[in-house]
Amino acid sequence: MADPTPRKRALGPFGGLLAAPLFVWLLALVVLPNLILIGYAFCDRDDLGQVVPRFSLEAIGRLADPTYVRILLRSLWLSGIATAACLLFGYPVGYYLGRAPERWRSKLLVLVMIPFWTSFLVRTYAWMILLRSEGLINALLQYTRLTSAPVDMLYTEGAVLLGLVYAYLPFTILPIYASAEKLDGALVEAAYDLGASPWRAFVHVILPLTRPGIVAAALFVFIPSIGMFAIADLMGGGRVPLVGNVIQNQFGQGRNWPFGAALGAGLLLMFVALLAWALRKDGEEALHR
Amino acid sequence: MVTRRSLFAAACVWTLTLFGCSGDDKTPAPAASGTPSASGSAAAAPKAGKELLLFAWSEYVPESVIDGFSKETGITVHYETYASNEEMLSKLLAGGTAYDLIQPSEYTVEALNKQNKLQKLDAANVPNMKNIAPEMRGFPHDPELAFCAPYMAGTVGIVVNTDKVKDPIKGYKDAFSPKYKNRIVVVNDAREMVTWAFATLGIGPNDVTADTLAKAKPVLGEWLKLVKVFDSDSPKTAMLNGDVDVGVIWSGEAAKLYEQDKKYSFVLPEEGTHLSIDHLCIPAGAKNKTGAEMFINYVLRPEISKQISDKFPYLNPNAEARKLLTDAQRANPASYPPALLDKAKARESFRDIGKMSTDVDKLITDLKSAN
Repeated sequence: MADPTPRKRALGPFGGLLAAPLFVWLLALVVLPNLILIGYAFCDRDDLGQVVPRFSLEAIGRLADPTYVRILLRSLWLSGIATAACLLFGYPVGYYLGRAPERWRSKLLVLVMIPFWTSFLVRTYAWMILLRSEGLINALLQYTRLTSAPVDMLYTEGAVLLGLVYAYLPFTILPIYASAEKLDGALVEAAYDLGASPWRAFVHVILPLTRPGIVAAALFVFIPSIGMFAIADLMGGGRVPLVGNVIQNQFGQGRNWPFGAALGAGLLLMFVALLAWALRKDGEEALHR
Repeated sequence: MVTRRSLFAAACVWTLTLFGCSGDDKTPAPAASGTPSASGSAAAAPKAGKELLLFAWSEYVPESVIDGFSKETGITVHYETYASNEEMLSKLLAGGTAYDLIQPSEYTVEALNKQNKLQKLDAANVPNMKNIAPEMRGFPHDPELAFCAPYMAGTVGIVVNTDKVKDPIKGYKDAFSPKYKNRIVVVNDAREMVTWAFATLGIGPNDVTADTLAKAKPVLGEWLKLVKVFDSDSPKTAMLNGDVDVGVIWSGEAAKLYEQDKKYSFVLPEEGTHLSIDHLCIPAGAKNKTGAEMFINYVLRPEISKQISDKFPYLNPNAEARKLLTDAQRANPASYPPALLDKAKARESFRDIGKMSTDVDKLITDLKSAN
């Protein structure tokens, strides 16, 4: 059997220079700002909430406040459900795209990308028009006499969930597509030849082989959806604060930059831990592909 | 306060910044001779810079006003927007851009003044300040109007869709009644919400302490459960869309609803309310103070101020401009609630509460997340 991974030729001694712009970029715009963020978390604040360079543990201490712990748990829970839903809907699509005839693949992939041609906010407002009491969906439901009164859809937790799933579904489809495309069809056929039912072939062959894609997809949804605040504000009517809203508030009316920084730093550490865990498991393969 | 489409505003800032940078060279020098105008704004023209950086609320300064000013003076105005006083404060204090004019609300004027971040206006350059109505003077944040010129004022009041709500609503207690559960929109502003509870408890809007917040907590706990939408940017939208029938919202938004349909009646809460006033001020570090004063004086002209009222039906503090409005505009109960115009009545305005802001924010966050 042929080696599935082609050997790579090593770059010369100065090959690393090719990545230099990336390193500069990461250092200046990712690492440095995050270090500043962590530094701010240990600072004091003035009357206007701005950071004062004086050591203080007040902001860090606030992290343990039950109110904010509760909000964090709720955000994690909601993001978890959104991730599960995205995988549930995204996996079949990603898999189908990855296994579609080659000449169709890129065209089908464009269909997944089309929503990105419109601003995310505009698409969110479009959902609001569909979901509101006198919106299109309610009008249709009443016209077809399925319901007699408008159904409450907008400004509910369900609407927030819908918004999250809608926003991040393409990010689930793409990594799953990538791993489904590389899936060796011969292995699936072998499973059938050995008498596996479609379900067994899926669970024991396809699923493990596309696992890196699933892990990457889950991270792509879970991590950004925790920090998302626009959807909770617009589609949730600002009723249920998520951790993203709380952070945003600290830099606004809450007038507490150090606490906002502490929350941000806390999330950052959580994500680093999550990523480390996923990489240790089997995500490494996913990121290398 | 102001219609706050913060998210769109962010996009607008981008556009303005992009276009703002390109046209600089072509800008004609400010007309030294100026337009001889009765209000005397051109007198200071020779010293004015040719660029004016205006940092103001989104959807609050009509294009016609900016264009008119540029045409008359030759000064190019760059209008950058923000969606909250705090956003403006952070950007101003960060110091990246030297803004010439800002548009803070009263408590932010006070906060800025505490830190010496505002420049005193040269009274000789803003003679039109005389047009400001007497009842808009004497507030504690700037009693002599030495630092700022009132731009527009307003309050928070209750809007009722009288097609759907038949029972009379007189105050917060009636509005936050269990029978309107899930039919209420309120502005998403922690300090405002706390103030409403304070009003029903007989606590003044500026008496913000751990003790008074504890008293307000149970009241707000009951109220917030009933609310369907929290929206500061455009609270009228949920009313117009039929998602809610009762709103505790900015009076200017209520005035727009009333202009659209008389079924949206406006009630000034009987428990009490406060007046909020937005101003034009010149921050420390402004590069074009003379140009900024020219702009302030221009905006204070009755016919210019009227243009603002036409577009944004808040309470116009400019007494001369009010005379130019139509009877219908003046009769709009949300724009000109009689109780707010009566100087004899106790009218309070927000004071800067400093670090207590964090506790106010926490209280509301706590109650919302408990639902």
